[in-house]
Amino acid sequence: MYKNKKNGILGISITIAILILIVIFSNREANTSFFENVANKLVMPIQNGLTYLKNKVSGNSTFFSDINNLKIENQELKEKNSELEQSLRELENIKTENETLKEYLGLTEKYGEYKTMPAYVIDKDISNYSKTIVINVGKNDGIKENMIVIADEGLVGHIISVTDNTAKVRTIIDTASSISCLMSTSKDSIVCKGTLDSNSELKAMYISTDSNIIQGDSIDTSGLGGIYPKGIHVGIIKKIVSAKNITDRYAIVETAVNFNKLNTVLVIRDN
Amino acid sequence: MKKTFINLSLILIGFLVYFIQSNFFSWFTIAGVKPNLFVIYILFIGLFSNKSMGIIYGAIYGIILDLLFRQKIGANLIGLIIIGVVATIFNKNFSKDSRMTIIFMVFGSTIIFEVISYIVNYILYSSNLEILNFVKILIIETIYNVIVTIIVYPLIKKFGYYIENEYKGNKILTKYF
Repeated sequence: MYKNKKNGILGISITIAILILIVIFSNREANTSFFENVANKLVMPIQNGLTYLKNKVSGNSTFFSDINNLKIENQELKEKNSELEQSLRELENIKTENETLKEYLGLTEKYGEYKTMPAYVIDKDISNYSKTIVINVGKNDGIKENMIVIADEGLVGHIISVTDNTAKVRTIIDTASSISCLMSTSKDSIVCKGTLDSNSELKAMYISTDSNIIQGDSIDTSGLGGIYPKGIHVGIIKKIVSAKNITDRYAIVETAVNFNKLNTVLVIRDN
Repeated sequence: MKKTFINLSLILIGFLVYFIQSNFFSWFTIAGVKPNLFVIYILFIGLFSNKSMGIIYGAIYGIILDLLFRQKIGANLIGLIIIGVVATIFNKNFSKDSRMTIIFMVFGSTIIFEVISYIVNYILYSSNLEILNFVKILIIETIYNVIVTIIVYPLIKKFGYYIENEYKGNKILTKYF
């Protein structure tokens, strides 16, 4: 397509640049701080210099008389500053340690009635149409098929197959997954299915005609269907979509778990 | 000797493709949609090597992908084997010299692969049929695949002709004269 090499390289680099721009702009919410940072980095050094000059000019009269005092003060402050910085670093370490420990504690406390086993998410399906994940526990840790996987916030999915050291989990947002749920206020049962459209939404179907759905209502598993036990939190009702025929109406359920940032999960062993 | 070297490097490239796909492209997405590098990879093997290689590689990587992520073997296996077949058909009928034809081949084979694997998925897992969302994702994915192809095309061409020389030798010329 391109006659000489120079044009070819130019074409490829333009394509790469466009690709990067598309990726950044199409996932914009996550990247606004990036743009802010760039803007800041461009402007701030000059702004700082200008402010410094302005302060110097406006405080001109006292500038020379105070200079000795300032020097001594500066020395003291510098020493103090280095001390503080060191303690800050120590505190930072303690803080992160504390957070991870708390996370573990919170996870196991919340679902204390079940015997659970923590696991890390090590892989996600590469296809756009399937949302299974792979976790780092398997047959050797006593994991079996159809065990339930949860996270701190709520239900994640169930195990579909195990190898010696890993297990595949079908998440509730996978299109092949459908779970039987209860709405917490009206106690009506619905079926939540995964959609292709979104990583954080389920489609709640088969809502009985005489039940009234409330936006923001909490959704838990109902215990029907054999795999999921009763009372695990799934999400909240985000939107109700009504159709011409009342039997066709459905609701969008926002999952409690953020599947884009899912790192640690808990596997419930036989209870 | 050279053929073993080619096969070894193709297998290595396959694993490289897997790691790029699962680590880099899992966050480098267009509106949350990932490209499918394996379609490009199998298409390229089928285009530049002999008849059966595209199908064999398609089968191997299809089985690996199915074993890694799916409950039952099927969707990726059937899809990638068909891409191998399609690539040999393309190879017989089209010239590979122009970037444009390669782009159209990638365009077509991405659509073929995704439609087939979606149908197989639907049959195997009885998942919900969402044609509108499927088409939306498919369009973005196809465009993304084409963009990736434009970027890696010079590499593909160079290595591709090296492989073709090894496998077909002087027979290539008969096609053009």
